Amino acid sequence: MTDPILRTVGLTKNFDGVVATNDVSISVPGGELRCIIGPNGAGKSTLFSLLCGIHRADAGRVLLKGEDVTRLLAFQRVRRGIGLTFQTNRAFHRLSVRQNLDAVLQIMRADRPADADQRYRFALDRFGLDPDSEMLAKELPHHRLQWLEMAMVLAAGPDIILLDEPTAGMSTEETLQTGAVLKHLNSSGLTIVVVEHDVAFVRDVAQRITVMHQGRIFAEGTVKEITEHADVRRIYLGQA
Amino acid sequence: MSHLLKLLTGPEDIGRSRWFWAAFVAVCVFLFVYPFWLSEFEATNNAYYLLNVPIALGLALLWGYCGILSFGQVAYFGVAGYVYGIVSGNMIGNAAGPIVGSLCGLAVCALTAAIFGYFVFYGRVQNWIVPILTLVLTLLLETFLGQTAGYQWRVGTVQLGGYNGMTGIPAFQVGQLVVTGYSFYYYVLIIVVVGYLSLRVLVNSQYGKVMLAIREDPIRTELLGYDIRARQLVVFVIAAVFAGISGLLYVQWGNYITPSQVGLLQASLPVIWVAVGGRESLLAVLLSTCALNWLNYTLSSEGYQYALIIIGVLLVTVMLFFPDGIIVTLARELPKRGWRALVGLHKGKAG
Repeated sequence: MTDPILRTVGLTKNFDGVVATNDVSISVPGGELRCIIGPNGAGKSTLFSLLCGIHRADAGRVLLKGEDVTRLLAFQRVRRGIGLTFQTNRAFHRLSVRQNLDAVLQIMRADRPADADQRYRFALDRFGLDPDSEMLAKELPHHRLQWLEMAMVLAAGPDIILLDEPTAGMSTEETLQTGAVLKHLNSSGLTIVVVEHDVAFVRDVAQRITVMHQGRIFAEGTVKEITEHADVRRIYLGQA
Repeated sequence: MSHLLKLLTGPEDIGRSRWFWAAFVAVCVFLFVYPFWLSEFEATNNAYYLLNVPIALGLALLWGYCGILSFGQVAYFGVAGYVYGIVSGNMIGNAAGPIVGSLCGLAVCALTAAIFGYFVFYGRVQNWIVPILTLVLTLLLETFLGQTAGYQWRVGTVQLGGYNGMTGIPAFQVGQLVVTGYSFYYYVLIIVVVGYLSLRVLVNSQYGKVMLAIREDPIRTELLGYDIRARQLVVFVIAAVFAGISGLLYVQWGNYITPSQVGLLQASLPVIWVAVGGRESLLAVLLSTCALNWLNYTLSSEGYQYALIIIGVLLVTVMLFFPDGIIVTLARELPKRGWRALVGLHKGKAG
């Protein structure tokens, strides 16, 4: 079996004594579309921040394509092929769409995947983003702003992208469209990990689901396994 | 060449139309010929309005384009001035002295900024602390220079001079040509025009585009794969060198420098020039710096305190009604609304 593209071993992070993630070990094989679900405060966003180096883990390791990147800074991890969109949109709101995309196009990754440009152009096309548009990002409707940030991350040519609640605040149609684009990108070999609350969206796109609860991995399996998992239903209904 | 031209006329500054460039060339030509109508004294005064432009442009780059407010750009102004005074003062009689002194001044500037900037940016000091740290640096320098009175504080034959400052600093010199009077005016003018155009190329380059991204959101930018620490440091050093250029021109103009040039009052002036014009445009800063220096100089003949009060009132007014700067706001709003909308400009403008 080949190395998983992303693996963590016993990842633990405390914020002022509150355990945000506790001994999290997950493994995502290359080319998978994985969804991470769990109630608020389950540690999903913290996990993402540890994966891409915004925060340093107190214990545990992060391995990207088999390489231990635990001690690397965020930009070094990005150059090794990881990309992230934030839970609250962080495209550059005061800059134009063109400036947002231009800012990414100077990335020095030597080993960007061969079809990185194709993926980027596909996303621009499907998301209806004009890379020459002088419209300010903050004037875009919410869903397009989300798409813009995804396009920016794709412009960098990643091997794996982490999306933190990409469809939050989107209409059903916009969510469906986002899902379709992600599935297509995934079919071209891009590994995608999505934190999401929208159950319909998760059912639509996920190949496997990881459930987090109180900072730990609670369950993991296929969509069918997870939706039929009695304990998962219980914590999601808040009866834990 | 066409690439350079494209960068020059790129979108990251106001003034991009053909009309603008026609006017720009016309103004340059005018500035080159108009000393013929001036006395040498007036030409030197005009050079004084211009010589603060580089420090202001550097701050505009650092603050307006990269989001780092330095309240201590005058530290580099002072370092360059003092180093130039020491080196060229020790080489009096040698025609190469002023050139060597200038180069040494800028080199020490860059080195100081690189060391200071390294600790600030690689230490990931929070953005809001940077103005305080930079201000502290310049105040430290002022305090240090202030106590250098006495014969023991000399480098070679040059005395630092404590609060009385360093005097008798040689003018700039190329070969046998001593640059004073008219030639000093042209010397400053060329530096200002070249400095402006080269920064304009920089902000329109790929490097400049990433700079804007860092200004907007450093973490997001780092997560696109950029080492923001290194980039902030480079911009910081460039801004320091530009401040140093102004410092050189200042001592070459007046042949003296005192510690008050790196004091609190002087430290606040570049911030005012940049804020009033509009920090996100090099052109706006160029214009506002010339205008405010002219205003200050002219009012000074009525009494210095009076001049500062007017400049201060101007700053407060601008911050209240034109938070993005007067020139930038006009350049953005006028084409949209026409002259009649001038009143109430600030209304309906989201931050």
